[in-house]
Amino acid sequence: MGKFVIRRLAQAVMVVIAATILLFIGLFVLGDPFASSGDKVVPPATQEILRAKFGMDQSVPMQYLTYLGNLFTGDLGVDFDQRRPVADMLGQAVPATARLALVAIILDVIIGLVAGIIAAVWRYSFWDVLVTVLTTLAIGVPTFVIGIWLRQTVSGFWIFPQVPRTFTEVAPWYTEVLLPAITLAVIDAAFIARLMRGSMLEVLRADYIRTARAKGLGERTVIMKHAFRNSVIPVVTYVGISIGVLLGGAIITETIFQYNGVGYLLYKSILQNNNPVIMAITTFAVLVYVGLSMIVDILYAYLDPRIRLS
Amino acid sequence: MTTSEPADMATAAQSVIVQSAHEVDGVAPEPEGKGKQPSRGQFADMWRRFKRNKLAMVGLVVVGVLIILAIIQPVISPYDPWEQNLLNTLATPDSDHLMGTDALGRDLYSELLYGLKLALIVGICTMLGTMLVGVTLGAVAGYRGRFSDTIIMRVTDIFLAFPYLIGAILIVRTFGSGVTQVIIALVVLNWATGARLMRGQMLALREAEYVEAARSIGASDWRIVVRHILPNAIQPVFIYAFTSIGVAVVAMASLAYLGVGVPPDTPEWGRLINQGIEQVQVAGKDYLWIFPSAAICLTTLAFAFVADGLRDSLDPKLR
Amino acid sequence: MRKQAWLRAAAGLTAAALVLTACSQKSNEGTSGSNTGANEPSAGWPQTDVPELKPGKKGGTFKLAIVEPTAIDVYNAQESEGILVASHLFTGLTITTYDGKVEPGVADKWETNDDCTEWTFDLKTGTKFHNGEEVNAESFKRGWERVAAKDSASEVAYHMAGVEGFDEMQAGTATTLSGVDATDPAKLKVKLTEPDCEWYVRTSHTVFSPVPSTAGTPTSNPAFVEQPIGNGPFMMDGPWQHNVGIKLKRFDGYTIQDPAYLDSVEISITPNGAADEYAGYQNGQFDWARMPVPVLSQARAEYEPKGQWITRNTNGMNYLLVMVTEKPLDSAKARKAISMAIDRNAIINGVFKGSQTPSTSLVPPAFPDAYQPDVCTACEYNLDEAKKLAKEAGLTEGTKLNFQFNTGGGHEEWTAAVADQLKKNLGLEVDIKGLQFTDLLNNEQQPGASGIFRAAWGADYATPGNFLEPLLSTGAIGAKADEPVTGDNRGRYSNKKFDDLLADAKKEKDDAKRIDLYQQAEKIAIGDDLALIPLWNRTQHRLANADKFINLRMDFHEDPDLRVISIK
Repeated sequence: MGKFVIRRLAQAVMVVIAATILLFIGLFVLGDPFASSGDKVVPPATQEILRAKFGMDQSVPMQYLTYLGNLFTGDLGVDFDQRRPVADMLGQAVPATARLALVAIILDVIIGLVAGIIAAVWRYSFWDVLVTVLTTLAIGVPTFVIGIWLRQTVSGFWIFPQVPRTFTEVAPWYTEVLLPAITLAVIDAAFIARLMRGSMLEVLRADYIRTARAKGLGERTVIMKHAFRNSVIPVVTYVGISIGVLLGGAIITETIFQYNGVGYLLYKSILQNNNPVIMAITTFAVLVYVGLSMIVDILYAYLDPRIRLS
Repeated sequence: MTTSEPADMATAAQSVIVQSAHEVDGVAPEPEGKGKQPSRGQFADMWRRFKRNKLAMVGLVVVGVLIILAIIQPVISPYDPWEQNLLNTLATPDSDHLMGTDALGRDLYSELLYGLKLALIVGICTMLGTMLVGVTLGAVAGYRGRFSDTIIMRVTDIFLAFPYLIGAILIVRTFGSGVTQVIIALVVLNWATGARLMRGQMLALREAEYVEAARSIGASDWRIVVRHILPNAIQPVFIYAFTSIGVAVVAMASLAYLGVGVPPDTPEWGRLINQGIEQVQVAGKDYLWIFPSAAICLTTLAFAFVADGLRDSLDPKLR
Repeated sequence: MRKQAWLRAAAGLTAAALVLTACSQKSNEGTSGSNTGANEPSAGWPQTDVPELKPGKKGGTFKLAIVEPTAIDVYNAQESEGILVASHLFTGLTITTYDGKVEPGVADKWETNDDCTEWTFDLKTGTKFHNGEEVNAESFKRGWERVAAKDSASEVAYHMAGVEGFDEMQAGTATTLSGVDATDPAKLKVKLTEPDCEWYVRTSHTVFSPVPSTAGTPTSNPAFVEQPIGNGPFMMDGPWQHNVGIKLKRFDGYTIQDPAYLDSVEISITPNGAADEYAGYQNGQFDWARMPVPVLSQARAEYEPKGQWITRNTNGMNYLLVMVTEKPLDSAKARKAISMAIDRNAIINGVFKGSQTPSTSLVPPAFPDAYQPDVCTACEYNLDEAKKLAKEAGLTEGTKLNFQFNTGGGHEEWTAAVADQLKKNLGLEVDIKGLQFTDLLNNEQQPGASGIFRAAWGADYATPGNFLEPLLSTGAIGAKADEPVTGDNRGRYSNKKFDDLLADAKKEKDDAKRIDLYQQAEKIAIGDDLALIPLWNRTQHRLANADKFINLRMDFHEDPDLRVISIK
């Protein structure tokens, strides 16, 4: 088991390094961050000064190594636009996105599971069709449309805070997070429902279910105790991945609802060619994904001896 | 574009992977049709099972109609979708313009028809491209195992870990904007999940009895993969890819929302939605984004129904 | 049996789709009721009058929203949001009024020597910073050195390029500005490297603000960057809360002009810009708002009757940047052909619903003394003349024309309309592309760039020279023909007579004569050569809560003039 973990860890590190190298190179494709400020050109003399200040006058490999070195000491650099420590900016944005991800996951897991089970157990019924149609609608409408429509119609009603929010009307985090969380949850709930439905359909056909029914167990026990526990495994995997994805930031949704999370920060930084922030957030997203993926792999290896030995 | 939309493609695929392969190194449930190769009789069986699924049939009909409409679009389009009329911008639907006009006075209905063509082309090409790259690499990874497997798996990791938006923007800004570039971008961002899927299938099937039998009579690797494993393995990949047509269309719309993609004045559904959303604060102009959104929904629904039906029909255990 | 049912259904659906489409291509023409008067020249919407200032009373909170600025500290404040805050936190030597005139700020009066290379500013005594420290000549010298220092890496330091000692400070070889003499606390003496008889105008820019002795440098004192201490009518009430808001409160010790009336100003920061401002205004959350272009007609209909509407021609111009040294537009005739083939009125009415005014000059009407309404003779839509000129210039049908614009600015529609008109009217093959702003800039700078590019310009200082020189002078190219342009004259227009006129203007002490020189220069560059193609003037519209407040007006930077606003 130990060897497997070490191997997997080594691979994960390689992936992160490769991804950051790719990103670093890619940032040079994205353009020169100092060529313009706003919509005015920056004179070449000033560009030189800016480049020297931010260490961009060194060669690319040198810059990458400097960046890695700083990373290990926790120095994420200073952003090109406002010259604030990137760590500060992330320090505000990451918890916000984490809260959003949490609420979104809770919502979509509950809705998705319930919908999926109902659709599977009462197959071909009205409910099944309804779930199928709704989930496909959810997948078929772009998230930003859902978001904008929600914002236009629902913000300000009931517990949903008014968007735009003035800075003296600070809503408590659990209401501020609602509308963007719902917007994000819609798609994931749809996928979870479909996943659950398919998985449960397969499981319900299995022999051990027939045995359970033959033994005379009540239908509810059959479903909740046996069928559910076996069919929920893929949902767990999906949710694990989904958490990683959501923690990477939901760009458009955050912007629409004025939610100061990682996604909005990333989007703005891309527009501004604000390399330190892009690097920091992308590295963070890559780390999260790779980390989660590795944990899932290790978990499965732990549960299934065949994998360890392969 | 949030990692949660296109991740819809990544996660969508992953959900199917998980479904059919309980993914991680090497574990897979019984794949369909294990131990047998599809024959003509099986296709007839599949068709029979497919027909029984009413939703799938509806989907098939709608897909068919959409394809026909896209093909005959130049003939049936009431106006030239590119023709501007600055005297009649943002007109509400009336007898002249079934769905009103957009901000440049173009007939919205004609634009939707033109956009249908684009959507189908991009969707289908993305699907084919994803399958081509994904199936090849996934097959190599699954069949060869060991080193190639590790390399390819870690490469897919890199592609999957990268936030979608950055990847899309990087690709399109390197290669410029245009339909081809959008297709390339979507394929690059999605082949990884197809590859993983294929690999999972490969791992399960390469130990199958008929494969051993073929090996024992001296069949070459190539022949084994292509003639014996591929037809069975490809089914989940194909179904995933089919579902992803609709998702590709949505992804293109989301890319357009961020100004990335086809040339700016192209009547493409994504751009039409963007233009419509710009008008959302103006009273009475909601039709501008509702019509293109409905078009996307309809298309996605139709393909999804067909994909669902395909999956059900390929599974002999479902009665 | 079932198979037939499905086939019938399919056929039925297809037939329905066909029926819906009426099977034949119509041509998309004709007016609709809502666009009456489209054939009349569009005059845009009339400017609203600027209210006469009435005496106000102390109290009240004014609320508005902006997007997150790059900097509110004067050392790096650059875009309109940052300048909004910085210009109310600081007052410089001079103040530019809402209508582009320059009046005394901290400097009571100023004078220059005969060749305009030395300036002396007499400062008011007894004015104070928000922390009580007195403002004197040393405060200005300190502030300017803080900007010019290499370590500060200010992106707006270039405004000081004419000051002696600036280059040394930027190179890091000097720590003081040798050309600025603050030995007399009541007199600031400035030496320039070149004559500039209008130099005093630029001292109203926030980059020339004084700073207190506690300011330090941006690297040694980052707290100041987040909460600057200035000498303006308002002071910071707490530090800048990034992506959330900025709160200002009245500085009661303001003696340079009449102090402000408002108790406080709440500036919320929203990511969606004008869309959020408009929504917030409708909800009563904001007292001032910009609007996204699509809602202008609707907003005007709703709010103008209530007296909450402002329309002003402001300091700016929208135009097409033309690459004048490359084919196909390297002749004035070709450029005029293009300009006359664009029906500005149709675009303004169709795309902007009449909310803009077609331009006929480069220097905008916001500079009434220098404005020449007829200088651009080729800005009129004249298809016959356009075709004739095109033929003479060799701009034949099928010629490829490159046309690029920046995405994310709402320019998709009108650029598509322009491209369409050029295609239809001159038969050109227009290759239209939308790019990220930095990519667009890069493309414009490359040698060999050709065609037209969407552009806009606003003057940094209230002088027509700040339109003409940066955009059209040879010095503003800053590169040889085979190198990328480093200045703002990316069209690479170069005309000796034009340059000479501008050089003379800089040396001209008499205001009226100087303006005449500028006008002559504009006649050459725009009237004769049409180096840029003006499209429409910059007209700004605002919503302002006249129910609760009086003295609502835009300042020269299109921001609300917070100092004069008062509750009723």
